[in-house]
Amino acid sequence: MDTFGYLGQGFGVALSPYNLLTALCGTFIGTIVGLLPGLGPINGVALLIPIAFALGLPPETALILLAAVYLGCEYGGRISSILLNIPGEASAVVTAFDGYPLAQQGKAGVALSISAWSSFVGGLMATTGVVLFAPLLAKWAVAFGPAEYFVLMIFAIVCLAGMAGDKPVKTAIAACIGLFLSCIGIDANSGVYRFTFGSLGLADGIQFVVLVLGLFSVSEILVLLERTHHGEQAVKASGRMLFNVKEMMFVLATNIRSGIAGFVIGVLPGAGATLASAVTYMSEKRLASKDNKFGNGDLRGLAAPETANSASACGSMVPMLTLGIPGSGTTAVMIGALTLYNITPGPLLFQNQPEIVWGLIASLFVANTMLIVMNIPLIKFFTKILAVPYWALVPAIAIITSIGVYAVHATTFDLFLMTGIGVAGYILRKMDFPLSAILLGFILGGLMEQNLRRALSISNGDLGILFSSPITWVVWAMVVGMIALPIWRTYRRRAERRAEDAAA
Amino acid sequence: MSQRIFGVVLLVASIGLALSAWGYQAPFSYEPVGPRAYPLLLLSLLALGGIYLLVKPASAHAVSNEPPLDRHVVRKVTTCVVLLVIYAAVFELLGFIPASTVFAIGMARLYGGSWRASVIAGLLLGVGMYLLFDKLLDVPLPLGILSSLEI
Repeated sequence: MDTFGYLGQGFGVALSPYNLLTALCGTFIGTIVGLLPGLGPINGVALLIPIAFALGLPPETALILLAAVYLGCEYGGRISSILLNIPGEASAVVTAFDGYPLAQQGKAGVALSISAWSSFVGGLMATTGVVLFAPLLAKWAVAFGPAEYFVLMIFAIVCLAGMAGDKPVKTAIAACIGLFLSCIGIDANSGVYRFTFGSLGLADGIQFVVLVLGLFSVSEILVLLERTHHGEQAVKASGRMLFNVKEMMFVLATNIRSGIAGFVIGVLPGAGATLASAVTYMSEKRLASKDNKFGNGDLRGLAAPETANSASACGSMVPMLTLGIPGSGTTAVMIGALTLYNITPGPLLFQNQPEIVWGLIASLFVANTMLIVMNIPLIKFFTKILAVPYWALVPAIAIITSIGVYAVHATTFDLFLMTGIGVAGYILRKMDFPLSAILLGFILGGLMEQNLRRALSISNGDLGILFSSPITWVVWAMVVGMIALPIWRTYRRRAERRAEDAAA
Repeated sequence: MSQRIFGVVLLVASIGLALSAWGYQAPFSYEPVGPRAYPLLLLSLLALGGIYLLVKPASAHAVSNEPPLDRHVVRKVTTCVVLLVIYAAVFELLGFIPASTVFAIGMARLYGGSWRASVIAGLLLGVGMYLLFDKLLDVPLPLGILSSLEI
């Protein structure tokens, strides 16, 4: 078995004392970052890129650090959802539905440990999924030429919009804005300056870290201004800290179902943890018997989104590693980090640099285990951090963000650009445009243009090459399906509403 | 209403950018697709999006997740943006420590800290972040007016 041989090798990388220490620091930092309002997994990971670079970490260690921070952030976001009823980011919204009521009933400790356990189970299941499916997909993906890649990226964008639920058009517009932003700067093929308007700072294009931190940190800082409450009282985590066997068995079936669903949703490009947690919560609610307590503190209502969340976080590593296509905002950031190290994610990564891929996969196992071991005893400590007032926290976030941006190029132009992007992001957010779609568009944009131009160079300008192989036919069919699905859903919803109106 | 305004802005911006993109032509080309086609394609999609936002009637079922803006919030947000711009302008000029201290004091005041607390937080952040990032994490930061103190 090749796979297990490689996995063993990967554990060799991940369990080296240096990398183990890195993973420990990463999960710890990640949990704190996820806990703080205004910082989520996306800007948490983005902030660490320049630091990892400045520290001169080797690529596999840097990647392990980023993955550990990602998982830690996903977990840290739960603590503020459960104890404060303030979800740190979109994917934690569902967690608060049942988590906060549980905390109010004096079961905060149980809720926190059950959510840690659920994250662990979800992460473990999904990582196993990554081990099983990623090499297969990578082998298959070698057959992809530029035309196939281009069509696949169209699918990723359409998927993003189709999965967005109530606002597909706004998501599509946001993705197009991101795609467009990637055009700015020198065109690599012809040397033409595009949309720089004579500015030297833009000649190199918009730096990835600048875009991420502008969109997510600066706009979040502005959003925090609206919430005028200061140091809201967290529910005290008292009483029993650990769940018992009965409670564990009670949520086990939920864990398994949600883990599988979360992994599948995570693998789809564009659909991330937010969707996974919402879908599994709704389906568990439907599956539960009539006398369920969903919404009033049902453990299953907490376990479902938690499991799905971390399962999809790991699942989104599959398209990132095998195809180089991000499945979520955070993996988009990780691709940006890989590019800084001159590593191109994609099928060849499995052949050329197996130590990086398998080291990363093994470190996902390690980081998941660390999180559960570390979190249960440290819950008291983490709840203390929640009491830090905004007037101390926000300036710190703003300064760290500026350092992160300045560290990339050491020009103040990037700081101005970050502020501008942040204001634009804030306005877009106010109008209900999803910001992570811009980010995904930005990452895909450059790749998409390169592949389109390469494909058309091969065919000497004939558009027919985009429809010429069986793979492209299948992907085009999926694109059509993905466009048709939301339209059909809206149509059906309207028909239902009309029927209801007629009945009333 | 704001949707429509945004639709107009998007439409005008994409037409304007498309006009400026029209001139992007490679003097020598080795490939059938030049540097112009792809941005134009995207800008036309964006223009279509702008038209959609302009035409689409505001749905009564649409629920916004974000609280509405009032004058008070707008003033605070503007102050915050001005602070960020000033910070960017003096970052290299004054150097990291003085710029960050002043900026942090302003931000802390904006987020409701008392004067005393803000000044303490500002000084701690300005000096502490410099030590943490420049000395410990090897991220070089400008010293500016304090550069004579460099050891």
